[in-house]
Amino acid sequence: MEEKYGTSISKGLSSARAAEILARDGPNSLTPPKATPEIVKFLKQMVGGFSILLWIGAAFSWISFGIQFAQGAESPFDNLYLGVVLALVVILTGIFAYYQEAKSTNIMASFSKMIPQQALVIRDAEKKELPADQLVVGDIVEIKGGDRIPADIRLIFTQGCKVDNSSLTGESEPQSRSCDFTHENPLETRNIAFYSTTCVEGTATGIVINTGDRTIIGRIASLASGVGNGKTPIAIEIEHFVYLVAGVAISIGVLFFIISVSMRYKILDSIIFLIGIIVANVPEGLLATVTVSLSLTAKRMAKKNCLVKNLEAVETLGSTSIICSDKTGTLTQNRMTVAHLWFDDQIYSADTSEDQTSKYPFDQSSQTWTALSKIVTLCNRAEFRPGQENLPVMKRVVVGDASETALLKFAEVVLGDVMDIRARNKKVAEIPFNSTNKFQLSIHETDDRNDKRFLLVMKGAPERILERCSTIMINGKEEPLDSEKAEAFQTAYMELGGMGERVLGFCHLYLPENEFPDTYPFDTDSMNFPTSNLCFVGLLSMIDPPRSTVPDAVSKCRSAGIKVIMVTGDHPITAKAIAKSVGIISATSETVEDMAKRLNVPVERVDRRQATAAVVNGMELKDMSLQQLDEVLCNHSEIVFARTSPQQKLIIVEGCQRQGAVVAVTGDGVNDSPALKKADIGIAMGIAGSDAAKNAADMVLLDDNFASIVTGVEEGRLIFDNLKKTIAYTLTKNIAELCPFLIYIIASIPMPIGTITILFIDLGTDIIPSVALAYEKAESDIMNRRPRNKSKDRLVNEQLAVYSYLHIGIMQSVGAFVTYFTVYAEQGFLPTTLLGVRVNWESNAINDFEDSYGQEWTKYQRTYLQWTGYTAFFVSITIQQVADLIIRKTRRNSIFQQGLFRTSFLTPRFQYWFVAVPFAILIWVYDEVRKLFIRRYPGSK
Amino acid sequence: MARDKQKRSCGQVLAEWRAFVWDPRSRQVLGRTATSWGLILLFYLLFYGFLAGLFALTMWVLLQTVDPHVPKYQDRLATPGMMIRPRTETLDVAFNVSAAETWQHYVRLLHDFLEPYNDSVQAARNAACRPGRYHEQPDEAVPNVPKRACRFARSALGPCAGLGPPGTAFGYAAGRPCVLLKVNRVINYFPGENKSINVVCAAKREEDAARLGEMAMFPPNGTIDLMYFPYYGKRVHVNYTQPVVAVQFLNATANEDHHVECRLNAAGLRADDERDKFAGRVAFRLRINRD
Repeated sequence: MEEKYGTSISKGLSSARAAEILARDGPNSLTPPKATPEIVKFLKQMVGGFSILLWIGAAFSWISFGIQFAQGAESPFDNLYLGVVLALVVILTGIFAYYQEAKSTNIMASFSKMIPQQALVIRDAEKKELPADQLVVGDIVEIKGGDRIPADIRLIFTQGCKVDNSSLTGESEPQSRSCDFTHENPLETRNIAFYSTTCVEGTATGIVINTGDRTIIGRIASLASGVGNGKTPIAIEIEHFVYLVAGVAISIGVLFFIISVSMRYKILDSIIFLIGIIVANVPEGLLATVTVSLSLTAKRMAKKNCLVKNLEAVETLGSTSIICSDKTGTLTQNRMTVAHLWFDDQIYSADTSEDQTSKYPFDQSSQTWTALSKIVTLCNRAEFRPGQENLPVMKRVVVGDASETALLKFAEVVLGDVMDIRARNKKVAEIPFNSTNKFQLSIHETDDRNDKRFLLVMKGAPERILERCSTIMINGKEEPLDSEKAEAFQTAYMELGGMGERVLGFCHLYLPENEFPDTYPFDTDSMNFPTSNLCFVGLLSMIDPPRSTVPDAVSKCRSAGIKVIMVTGDHPITAKAIAKSVGIISATSETVEDMAKRLNVPVERVDRRQATAAVVNGMELKDMSLQQLDEVLCNHSEIVFARTSPQQKLIIVEGCQRQGAVVAVTGDGVNDSPALKKADIGIAMGIAGSDAAKNAADMVLLDDNFASIVTGVEEGRLIFDNLKKTIAYTLTKNIAELCPFLIYIIASIPMPIGTITILFIDLGTDIIPSVALAYEKAESDIMNRRPRNKSKDRLVNEQLAVYSYLHIGIMQSVGAFVTYFTVYAEQGFLPTTLLGVRVNWESNAINDFEDSYGQEWTKYQRTYLQWTGYTAFFVSITIQQVADLIIRKTRRNSIFQQGLFRTSFLTPRFQYWFVAVPFAILIWVYDEVRKLFIRRYPGSK
Repeated sequence: MARDKQKRSCGQVLAEWRAFVWDPRSRQVLGRTATSWGLILLFYLLFYGFLAGLFALTMWVLLQTVDPHVPKYQDRLATPGMMIRPRTETLDVAFNVSAAETWQHYVRLLHDFLEPYNDSVQAARNAACRPGRYHEQPDEAVPNVPKRACRFARSALGPCAGLGPPGTAFGYAAGRPCVLLKVNRVINYFPGENKSINVVCAAKREEDAARLGEMAMFPPNGTIDLMYFPYYGKRVHVNYTQPVVAVQFLNATANEDHHVECRLNAAGLRADDERDKFAGRVAFRLRINRD
């Protein structure tokens, strides 16, 4: 070994040699997934969405400028400026979107940057603390309990070393490690500890054999990056929307280009019309609004412990129809807690809530309880880390394994200061738990000064403990353990086990004073004390209890039409018990096995379709064909996958996606990363999650809590609703911007609204209300709807477009035109005079253009009037957009149900303000009537 | 995420389209039954009919509120513009003396323009007014009574009146072209603050003045009589004759561009608006070609 890695076990590598290898192999860290270069991201923003259309508009402007300039026309610079403005719009909105994206990415970057890990290395025959990324192959490292393994290590010396490989294999039980080679497969053999796993207890020394990306974890992580990541639903929706609007813009543009050419307009003029039509049709500010809305929601979600890496994932969460959730830590508290006690032939339940609010729910007066509590307290090696006296008991850090921790905390909560009790009952001998004995034993002096007897206490696997007992304590009295009592024990044991709980048996024995005097030398190796014929006291069962918020969250999911599937590596019975207690399997539903039991028929004869729930074992899953899996997913509404490997998670996710579902998956281990990537939205755990999982995920749950996902779902649905409102709002005025162009071309009236004015509306006055709509509160109860159907419930559908364009949009246009005609009429041009005047109106040579009163106008005077017209048109669109904003606040409810907020983003500047007011009111009334009909006759088109 | 769409053959797509256009089973045309289409069309008919009616109504209300004699606002016309005749598309007067077809249309345009200024017409329609002061005709009891217009003698334009033998043709044939200048009509506008007003012409740049040569103004001094003001609008001031001033270029250098600017010289009138090049002034290009 030493030779192979060119090292010395006692002295380690020399610093020089290490530096050489480091230069050759690179640092011992995982290369982060290849990020898209910033410039590419930036350029993507520049050409994405409507930008292409606007670039085309800008190009046309410049071309017509070039032509006009070459022809020596008088004011060619208008087109140059228009082109510049269009380009600026694209660039600025691009920069803005890029900035928003970058900001949310930064949150993640700062999050993933963790405190550099240190490793204890032997180099130059000295022990040194080095940053873990400086490790090289051949280094000798020392590990102790609690450390993270800094690289793949071949162990050469171990002492009670156990590692937690759950991030790699998904197995939650710690595995012991030794120096012996036990298996061909490096994943199976016991003498290798893997990078990024943790050492739970014991110490070990080993040689680094792989570093960085060459470690097992590194290889898996690079595999995960191969799994394709599709578009998010909102990206698809926005793309759909962009296509729709662009399609409308281009077809109207081309249609009117043809019309204007055939109406003998000059080609150049026709091109300018085309630009105007495109600009009028494209909601320039919308994509920026969407980005703002999403990032506002992302911020809000971050406050609720959902950190969103990809802005679009915000909405994906809202359209989720299946959540595949981990059990441990997500649904449960991730700590063993005493759930039940059995003594005096009776089962008591203990408090399992996070904050221990219910006080002593069981009978503590019995003598048996006193005896049991003593065993629980004394026969326990776990201890609180010092200096946590002010923390609540459940939050204190404990040194010791999960069960002992549970017992310690239980005792501390129920009895008070455990350490004090232990100090008063001095320990004289102890046999720690091992897998051969399956029990733990200790002998103590008693705290009763008059009682000189030693107390032997023992805990362990219930059946083993019972074997060693001849009596049982009932109500404080020892009674012989007859078959009837043994039967009662069996029943209780089965019942507790059936609840998926880990059961421990407790017994004790007072050693007779005459045989074991004060000075008796207890020897744990020769066991010179009795270990049988003890007195059985009781059973305690422990479980990792569900988080208290989870059942509520699960029922919320249910009413929101989201299917929650539990995927866990745990035992089916435990999994089922937790699933039942959180409501993933509801109280009334049965699995096939339950039905078989109830009907007393073999499992095969039960009609599988009648069972609503299913618990699928990982072994069964392995043998299933895809069709069978689909059938399971389809037929059962409540599914638990137990004993599954992380690889099977991927299969389950794919199965769900085949049903057309939008799947959210939670995960923490490295092996979860393919599933996280494959899922429509991967949710990594912030506390328990590995870096690889966080990299692969779209979202990170900072508190690992399932309930936070549900909050996220709510936010996601809200943002979809609100974006729909924003888009409806934004689309409406497009018609009012477009109609002027069309009528200008057809009726040859003076231009009612200029291209720049349109841009000013789109990017100026309309942005704030659009964003305001994104802040709109949830309508009715959005968590009582089914998840949106990806193919039917689009962001922009036919109805929305028709209603925005053909109903409200037309009304707005009519209102705006009335304002336009009013302005011209009051200045001297009656409507009839305006028809067909375009050519003369725009001629630079005609400076005595006659109005309806016989007055004559110069070109500039007309242009100035035209600008007044633009402003009036603009004002009337804006004022009608206020009505539009009000009606868009709700989709179904009446405004009077939702409440009206003040919108004061306009300052009065013109008397023409009020011309459009009746139309604004009309829009409102019209929409209220529509909503009334929708409420009256829901479901009809 | 990337889920394959079910591949469909071309024939199926076509069949689907055909079914969409006309589905004999559900008797649907383009996804709707005849009744449904009927209702939709009826709805839009009513809806747009209503909107059109509303539009017509508001326009009617608007027209009711508008005074047909005087516009509500005149703030854009504070300074009246000026224009030349003959008017072409580019504000140019450019011709070749020896080629009659290059100036014939100018002559025709001028004749057409001066038609209403004929003495016969003027004498029949218009009144002889007292020169040198505004011809105010206030409404007494009845509002908007028709107003008399003042006579303008075409002959006052001298050689530029086009009254001579056909050959003279406003001087174009001789290379001494006439250009008429007029001030835009603005209702109730009183120029000059009761002092006489006149039009002056000059080369745009002073250094070009010599090459532009002498100019003759008709009526003499380019004077516009105050009696032609104010204008009361075409509805009540039916036969209003706009006063005209003529400028004749007597010996402008041939074969080069002359940029001429004429301005209205009136007290209280500002003709130096940077943006409006035609407020109280007019600029045009003159080019006389000789072989």
